[in-house]
Amino acid sequence: MGDVHSVHLVLEAVPEQVDTLQDEIAQLWESVPSVSTTDRVRFEMALVEIFANIVEHSVRHHPGPPLRQVAIQLDVSPGLVEARFADDGRPVGLDLSDVTMPPPDAEDGRGLALTIAAVDALAYEREGDINRWTVTCRRNG
Amino acid sequence: MTDIHVAHTERGIGVVTPVGRLTMVVTRQLTEAITGLVDGGTSKVVVDLGETTFLDSSGLGALIAGLKRCRQAGGDLRLARPTEQVTTVLSLTNLDRVLRPRASVAEAF
Repeated sequence: MGDVHSVHLVLEAVPEQVDTLQDEIAQLWESVPSVSTTDRVRFEMALVEIFANIVEHSVRHHPGPPLRQVAIQLDVSPGLVEARFADDGRPVGLDLSDVTMPPPDAEDGRGLALTIAAVDALAYEREGDINRWTVTCRRNG
Repeated sequence: MTDIHVAHTERGIGVVTPVGRLTMVVTRQLTEAITGLVDGGTSKVVVDLGETTFLDSSGLGALIAGLKRCRQAGGDLRLARPTEQVTTVLSLTNLDRVLRPRASVAEAF
């Protein structure tokens, strides 16, 4: 684990926490300045979209208590930048292989398609009562 | 955190300038800024992204909604001065041909 730089966050699943997430990502890059601009951009885009997706779909329409938490683990190693999200919102009822980019005049529905286009791998699984998302970027620089 | 400035050029073009991150946190403000211009009779709108440090899919959705609103009123919505991240998002979502960014606000119309 010597070469892995890790950050663990627990955020309230509310829109305003996107800013906190992005502030934390900015701090992460200060700690590991070797990550290329291209990798930073695509990783941040993916994380913002997944967090927004959790807030919009797993939490906002959930019948339970409105305030839920999202745990996020960020790991930067010499070859990979990876994020693991865990939330206890409702299950995500979709197959990622069915996700396509909506037509140009669509006003929503681009989040997951953009994430898939930006990163090397996006995975989702439901484990018990927990949603787990994993975002993986192989480092280019 | 993010401010959305609204102004007019001498030629009556509306200029919306988001300063900071354009994410789900401020999407509604962006929509209101564009709607306010169109409702006030300004249907040619430039969104100046020169100071927009980050654009996500909800921001893109608000831009598309704004584009439709401007066109319905007989005008158009154009983007100017995209940063590298904005250019990447437009390209990955195939919206670079619909929302063709210009190098400056003056060149948009």
